[in-house]
Amino acid sequence: MADGETRPGEAAHDARAEGSGAAQVEIRNLEFFYGATRALKGITLDMPARQVTALIGPSGCGKSTLLRVLNRMYDLYPGQRATGEVLLDGINILDAAIDLNELRSRVGMVFQKPTPFPMSIYDNIAFGVKLHERLSRSQMDERVEWSLTRAALWEEVKDRLSSSSMGLSGGQQQRLCIARTIAVRPEVILLDEPTSALDPISTLRIEELIDELKRDFTIAIVTHNMQQAARCADQVALFYLGELVEIGSATQMFTAPRERRTQDYITGRFG
Amino acid sequence: MPVSRALHRRRRIVNLLGLTVATLATLFGLVWLVWILGVTLANGIGAVDAKLFTEMTPPPGESGGLLNAIVGSAIEIALGVLFGTPVGVMAGTWLAEYAQVRALAGTIRFLNDILLSAPSIVIGLFVYALVVRPSGHFSGWAGGVALALVLLPVVVRTSDETMRLVPATMREAALALGAPKWRMVTQVIWPAARTGISTGILLAIARISGETAPLLFTALNNQYWTVNPADPIANIPVVIFQFALSPYDQWHRLAWAGALLMTVVVLALSVGARAALRRSR
Amino acid sequence: MSATAHAAAPPSPSRRRTRGGTGDMAFRLLAAGAALLVLVLLGLTALSMLWGGWPAFRTFGLHFFIGTEWDPVAKRFAALVPIYGTLVTAAIAMLIAVPVSFGIAVFLTEVSPRWLRGPVAAAIELLAGVPSIIYGMWGLFVFVPFMADHVDPWIDGTLGGLPLIGPLFAGPPMGIGMLTAGIILAIMVVPFISAVMRDVFALVPPPLRESAFALGATRWEVVRKVVLPYTRTAVVGGIFLGLGRALGETMAVTFVLGNAHDFSISLLAPGNSIAAAIANEFTEADSEIYRSSLIALGFLLFVVTFIVLAAARLMLARMARQAGR
Repeated sequence: MADGETRPGEAAHDARAEGSGAAQVEIRNLEFFYGATRALKGITLDMPARQVTALIGPSGCGKSTLLRVLNRMYDLYPGQRATGEVLLDGINILDAAIDLNELRSRVGMVFQKPTPFPMSIYDNIAFGVKLHERLSRSQMDERVEWSLTRAALWEEVKDRLSSSSMGLSGGQQQRLCIARTIAVRPEVILLDEPTSALDPISTLRIEELIDELKRDFTIAIVTHNMQQAARCADQVALFYLGELVEIGSATQMFTAPRERRTQDYITGRFG
Repeated sequence: MPVSRALHRRRRIVNLLGLTVATLATLFGLVWLVWILGVTLANGIGAVDAKLFTEMTPPPGESGGLLNAIVGSAIEIALGVLFGTPVGVMAGTWLAEYAQVRALAGTIRFLNDILLSAPSIVIGLFVYALVVRPSGHFSGWAGGVALALVLLPVVVRTSDETMRLVPATMREAALALGAPKWRMVTQVIWPAARTGISTGILLAIARISGETAPLLFTALNNQYWTVNPADPIANIPVVIFQFALSPYDQWHRLAWAGALLMTVVVLALSVGARAALRRSR
Repeated sequence: MSATAHAAAPPSPSRRRTRGGTGDMAFRLLAAGAALLVLVLLGLTALSMLWGGWPAFRTFGLHFFIGTEWDPVAKRFAALVPIYGTLVTAAIAMLIAVPVSFGIAVFLTEVSPRWLRGPVAAAIELLAGVPSIIYGMWGLFVFVPFMADHVDPWIDGTLGGLPLIGPLFAGPPMGIGMLTAGIILAIMVVPFISAVMRDVFALVPPPLRESAFALGATRWEVVRKVVLPYTRTAVVGGIFLGLGRALGETMAVTFVLGNAHDFSISLLAPGNSIAAAIANEFTEADSEIYRSSLIALGFLLFVVTFIVLAAARLMLARMARQAGR
């Protein structure tokens, strides 16, 4: 296991997280630009393995931008660039030589609105897996069942795997997207406001799911919902106008914030 | 205020007049539609019989059918679809998914829109110079190429438009799984835009099924039975053209039968495709 | 803790494949090639026609555009008759089609009850779907006799005797001729122009219309003073779109024009048009210079319609940008 491993530069960092020590994602002095606009300013933070890091802050503060740096989604759009370092297990993923398809198989992402592909439930899961692995039919069946079970969707859809994914409810579609993401067996999962388009019951199920998934995956979640951050996250990072204001354990951030701006935001005085 | 009241009355009369004339203009447009379709139906129905689908186009004065022209038209249309659709869908794909230099994509869209309404007789001349002249003879192949050029801009435009309607999150979701772009396009975007693309192709087929001018100097015509695209090939529109301008009654009857057949096919295709397109949006 | 500890089915050992590099490149090139083909085809069309028509342009020079003789035997060709016919038939078509299309668009947006809009719009759209050769046949067998029996004699009798414009309307009541062709062209382009007008009328921001109504304007005044000025550019664009179609339409006019090569100013006399001349004579052209003259006409038609259609698209694009803001 890589748990006990230490790397240069990490020793100086205080081990906030209990349990696992290895920082799976280390962000060093990250700057991000939309054309000439600087959207992220000198961000440095760690996301420890098998923990949930919640990114909070008012709209436009850069939290979603940060998420899109972690799987290089911004590469899709001309004029967007990032400088600094983002280390995934010690490898800088901002490096131009990084194979993006491979990176994205290691860093999965779930979006704000459910994005089922126009194909059957089974094929939605198999689509991602087939990109990276050659499995026999029975291995694929196992993988589909495994990921749907982990996403707490198996019982609801096991009898209609070959029907279209468009027929599922919004909450089911979002869990399908989570299943599709974990089926690829990534190391990190990025969740971009995954429950903002869902009803309260579906939201609760997804939150329970996140809690369950963090035993295997490193999770980063962007949320507008303070309670959600408090319920799900091990550590919370507050962003404001492209800067990292404060980062700390969920308990510390919500009970004893060090920064005035954190206190203001949490109590709803801005944003 | 008597002046004001007079003004008010005048305005109301002008309003009534304007709107009445607008209504009459609409009726005027509809009269032509009924007249043209009615005449085609009346003359065509009388000329339709079993021989139409079982016998060749006859020499003057003898009875016959349109079998060779019907089959020839089907072959020409199939060739047009075969040549034009892959190119059209791929070009639409490039415009919607790959074009990063906006100026170039804009130029291509602009020129494609012009091709969309360019005179089809010019396309006939172009294919004559491109295929018929170098090969030395008229042929079904040339006709297929000409129809493909008519079909191409329709398919380019509808595939471009419907692919751009696919939400960006769908693309991101596919790429976030580590899919290479070509797989994202072929396995996610194309299925998502399937209805739009296929109705676009249907519209294009409707369009080429009614085209005559591009076939005049390419497929030409053929009195005899052939399914070989290397030969000149009979087709409904050119047969209608030749028969209608002839002095023979029997040929006129066949021309009307062909006209009815063509109108029914074209209108059914285009009405169906438009309805499907509207429902999918 | 291992990642597989909670898994119902232990995932197989990682065999990640990184593919897509070459596939991506190939697919991208294929798509780019197809898109470029659209550009190339348009360029090739113009070039091939310039190339084919060059002998005619070189032999006859400027006279090709202003002379009226069209003599395959003496191999002397000048194209004023078809050029004049093309312009006149298109002009007649626009004179009729523009007001009718405007009326239809106003009816569909302002007059018609909601339930009637869909069916009427679909019916007008149907006119655009009817193949042009059907217009030609109907024109030849039905509309030409109708014009000859009822319309032409009346026009000749009333307008034909007038000073100045009289010669335009004087002539034998044959039915075929530029007036008949122009009317048929008008019917053919009405659906295109009215569809554009209807679409852009719908783009007028509701607050703008409502504030005019709030001032007490009648429906007609709202259309004339608010809707039309707001959409003027696009309306002209739609008209140009129709004009481009009218100029290049082939089969319908070929049936009813008469394929004459003698110049006649009268709208009731047989005439010719560029497209009709090509359709009628191209396969029968028996000399190189004859064929070249027809291709030169094709080149002329292509250039003119290209300019008209490009202007139309530019005007429509301007409206679309305005509405997008």
